[in-house]
Amino acid sequence: MDLSVYEDYAETLEALDDEMRFEYLLDIAKKKRGEPFPEEAMGDAHLMHGCMSRVWIIHDIADDRHYFRGHSDAAIVKGLVAMMTDSFSGLTTAELAQITLDHVRRLNLGALTTQRQVGMMAMLKHIQKLAGARPGIQAA
Amino acid sequence: MTAIPAIREMPARGRNTYDPAVVRADFPILSRTVYNKPLRFLDNGASAQKPQSVLDALQNSYAREYANVHRGAHFLSGAATEAYEGVREKAAGLLNAPGPDTIVFTKNVTESINLVACSWAEAHLSAGDEIVITEMEHHANIVPWQLLRDRKGVVLRVAPVEDDGSFDLDRFAALLTERTKLVSVTHVSNVLGTVVPVAEVTRLAKTVGACVLIDGAQGIVHQPVDVQAIGCDFYAFTGHKLYGPTGVGILYGRSDRLEAMPPWQGGGDMIDSVSFEQTVYAEPPMRFEAGTPPFVQAIGLGAAIDYVQALGMEAIGAHEHALRAHAFDVLRDVPGVRLIGEAPDKAAIMSFVVDGLHSLDVGAILDRQGIAVRVGHHCAQPLMARMGIESTVRASMALYNTAEEIDALAAGIRHAQKLLG
Ligand SMILES: Cc1ncc(COP(=O)(O)O)c(C=O)c1O
Repeated sequence: MDLSVYEDYAETLEALDDEMRFEYLLDIAKKKRGEPFPEEAMGDAHLMHGCMSRVWIIHDIADDRHYFRGHSDAAIVKGLVAMMTDSFSGLTTAELAQITLDHVRRLNLGALTTQRQVGMMAMLKHIQKLAGARPGIQAA
Repeated sequence: MTAIPAIREMPARGRNTYDPAVVRADFPILSRTVYNKPLRFLDNGASAQKPQSVLDALQNSYAREYANVHRGAHFLSGAATEAYEGVREKAAGLLNAPGPDTIVFTKNVTESINLVACSWAEAHLSAGDEIVITEMEHHANIVPWQLLRDRKGVVLRVAPVEDDGSFDLDRFAALLTERTKLVSVTHVSNVLGTVVPVAEVTRLAKTVGACVLIDGAQGIVHQPVDVQAIGCDFYAFTGHKLYGPTGVGILYGRSDRLEAMPPWQGGGDMIDSVSFEQTVYAEPPMRFEAGTPPFVQAIGLGAAIDYVQALGMEAIGAHEHALRAHAFDVLRDVPGVRLIGEAPDKAAIMSFVVDGLHSLDVGAILDRQGIAVRVGHHCAQPLMARMGIESTVRASMALYNTAEEIDALAAGIRHAQKLLG
């Protein structure tokens, strides 16, 4: 499967120290200002529950591949959401089901607190669910 | 074998100058760094740090005086029981309560409030009776009454706060009727810092014969408290916000109230005699302390009470008052910062929002600079709704904070604005 975007993020993060990772995350969030999230998608239907800030994720399918876009009202969370949606867009249902906690951990690293690590895991579960790709609950 | 530290000398009573540098040296954690930056701990409203004397008391209790209380016919049990029971007197002293029998140990203020709800209110309230709380309550002083409402059909009335966070005494008074059986209010708002005029509230509540419970979680830490002068029936606080250990809280109850209350949990320690036909309950306060209590934590709380008493609650209050005034000055100076809660009578708890920035981001950027604050709704969602916000950043000061730390906070906010701008 093509995880090149994911690999780029992971390698960049690995090369940075804690302080710089933090600023990198904010930079990702700032870059996303250039791709505004559709106003009409910022409703309850796309809201991911259980976060300290609000997170919206929208899901599209093209050629049997899943594409995600996300947004949050907090910049740090927006950076995390962007890493997740960029990294795991373009995968098939079967590929998406293979993404695990270990993948997410590489996007996480030291700069982020455990609380946010939990948030990232919840995000993975959420996009897998949107795509019908939760391991174990997949249609045969 | 490791040497057991001697119990440390208490700071001298009546020290006539309050020197934060000296006080800080009593708190080992304050000398650590986070992310290679000095720790600036401004999240005391959630839980305060512990002085060495509290840590020593815990160590001493486990290392030298540990045995179950009230039970053993031996030296150590006697020593632990004496130390534990001694803390009732210290707590009574701190609150100016009439005696140790008015002090019930709980695990935190939340449990203290639930005790009143499940024992006193359960026994004495019926459908249609009214409970008055305020808009600025912590969830701990809302949800137990909602549970009671669902069990018994009591009615919950909510006294409003003004836009600046002040408590509105007139609108509170207007809610009181002959059906008001309980007034349960916070002493100090954990979000706004507002000091509720609890003596006045109690006086008004008494005109309709209502019982008064005060949530002193934030009240006990910032100023002297005298439950007899206030005239309240119950006063609850939690040990960990008063520089003591987690796991222990206090409920002060007026003797006649406690005596008229049934037990709420059953087990060992709360009985006089048990047979399968009939059990005779112990007198208060033991009636409300089923099972082995958190006696080590209580002994730690005793050391914390000694510590603040030695510094003097007036002196602590004066120091924090100066910090609050300084915080007002420097935070108002940062463009884009909006203070939430500017009541004239306010403890050193500063909540604010920053224009265009999410509290979570502000908190995270401050964290990277070693500045610990809390962000979110602070377990007071109805208050957030009232103020028309979803979350705040909260800097809550303690006896060891300094003006320099508040300057660092202001600089940190400016840094966040630059990074996220
Ligand atoms: C006003 C107020 N009441 C109740 C509580 C609950 O305290 P605890 O969790 O120790 O029971 C807090 C602290 O979180 C508080 O600030």
